[in-house]
Amino acid sequence: MDQQFPDITGTFSAVTGGIRYLMPEIALVAAFLLGVIIDLFFSRRFRHAVLICAAAGLGAAAWLTLAAGDDLPADPLFYGMIFSSVFSNVFKLVFYGVALLFLVLCFFNRQLQQHAKGTGDLYNILLVVVLGMSFMSMSINLLMVYLSVEMVSVGSYLMVGYISGNSRQAEASIKYALFGGACSAIMLYGISLIYAFTGTLDLGEIMVRGLENVPSLSSATAITLVLAGIGFKLSFVPVHFWSPDVYEGAPTPVTAFLSTGPKIAGFALLLIFLMTFFVAAEGHRFFDFKNTISVIAIMTMVVGNFSAVWQDNIKRMLAYSSIGHTGFILMGFVSLDHGGFRAMFFYVIVYALMNMAAFMLADYVEQRANAVTATGYAGLGKRFPLAFTIFVVVLISLTGIPPTGGFIGKLLIFSSVWGQYRATHALLPLAMLITGAVTTVISLFYYLKIPLNAWLRSGDTAVTITTKNGLLVYTAFAIMLILLAVGIFPQLITAYLPG
Amino acid sequence: MIPLEHYLLISAALFCIGLYAVFTRRNAIQVLIGIEFMINAAVINFVAFSKYDKAKLGGQVFALFAIVLAAAGVAVALAIILNVYKYYKTIDPGKIDELRD
Repeated sequence: MDQQFPDITGTFSAVTGGIRYLMPEIALVAAFLLGVIIDLFFSRRFRHAVLICAAAGLGAAAWLTLAAGDDLPADPLFYGMIFSSVFSNVFKLVFYGVALLFLVLCFFNRQLQQHAKGTGDLYNILLVVVLGMSFMSMSINLLMVYLSVEMVSVGSYLMVGYISGNSRQAEASIKYALFGGACSAIMLYGISLIYAFTGTLDLGEIMVRGLENVPSLSSATAITLVLAGIGFKLSFVPVHFWSPDVYEGAPTPVTAFLSTGPKIAGFALLLIFLMTFFVAAEGHRFFDFKNTISVIAIMTMVVGNFSAVWQDNIKRMLAYSSIGHTGFILMGFVSLDHGGFRAMFFYVIVYALMNMAAFMLADYVEQRANAVTATGYAGLGKRFPLAFTIFVVVLISLTGIPPTGGFIGKLLIFSSVWGQYRATHALLPLAMLITGAVTTVISLFYYLKIPLNAWLRSGDTAVTITTKNGLLVYTAFAIMLILLAVGIFPQLITAYLPG
Repeated sequence: MIPLEHYLLISAALFCIGLYAVFTRRNAIQVLIGIEFMINAAVINFVAFSKYDKAKLGGQVFALFAIVLAAAGVAVALAIILNVYKYYKTIDPGKIDELRD
């Protein structure tokens, strides 16, 4: 009897004790449930009720995360399912910020707002995806990892296919769903192999010891399969095919969200996964993550940046550039020490800001001037002077030229890899440094195509009337100011970073 | 008593069949069936190897979650395939290629 019903009161108090640390997630769930009800009953009378509800939920979650502050649990919660730490808190704040910017983008997107089904469901799906991303940054159990990744994936398929207003949007969603389904199935098989080899689902020392005891080929296969699943979220090189097509086809607000939110959640998950092995397997390396990640980072930077040069479609170009940035951030993962952490966090935050701003402006120009290609931007600088001035600053930041946040981010990552090279004199860190420098120069070519066309070439129709700036441009302007401020005073971010 | 290796072999075979189907099928629904094969290969592993995890039965619980999530994923994918059919009048992933370099 005792074996069948173990200490129920103990179990119960262990579960309820953990709830205290899950308040941000509970706020998201509450906003989601409320949003569904509001969408059913009140959306006809108050068009933006669900939007306000979602924004309130995200704001509450961010506030609760901030308010919790240093009140962090010492042990994993819910029987080793999730672990809330300083790292996950930083990631969560980034997710909530990105989601709020996504709401702003949706609010100003005409195609979404005029959609017959309304936008209520989109906001509700967003809340669930953000919930999944929160859990991705906290999970320390493979069941939790798989659950949260699937939550984010299934929600993202729906977001991409939400309008399906034309054939391209439908195509983007089917490509995403099929490729994503295959990748998550591959990851699931990898997880099942890890479980078979080690008998545990907890990402911890027992798992690493268990993987050491099986032949290295078997454990390497299992780990590679899991990495393929995480890599799908990150879109690093062997599994990046989907991202240009999906980013081009999806509605621009969704593209902006996908290229930041789930991608950063993928970084959070990769961090947890790698930390497990770095902490537990100190000394004996049976699977060389450093070299694997280095090679992936180099390939990702090369493929992303070189492919971007040939693109004319702005969203496709930004998609390839975001692949390039993924490779760059992966460089920070090679040295998982004090400097590497800080560099990675700084870059992730700045990347989220500048990518959101770039897509905001692309969306703005797409709606006002119906231009989606670099050549179509010809002469538009005179029509939207403020928008394109901001665009130039954001692109400079994406390239990594001072005085912008992007420069500081690249500098921090370079110096962490340089420290790595100084300590070991190994070939791969040096190769990464060279690739990073060369691809940064390459990125200048395609980023500067936008201002080149907008300012220096004249368009077909000589329109010189300046259009009134929308609020979207002012939001992008605010982000630009933040990027410049961070570029001049990096301590604005670094003072709050863990590590 | 069936030895544990047999489960591993069957699941590996299922996984490979599924992966082959994903790469070769010319019909989006058959690709989905391939994905389903791969998920079920993992489920077999989980259930078989939870024999060594009698205290927590993590594998069996995971198998239940995997089945439910697979159903959710397929439901979404089928809805998306319907949408695609509306525009292309085909669900051959090879012929749906307006977006490319």
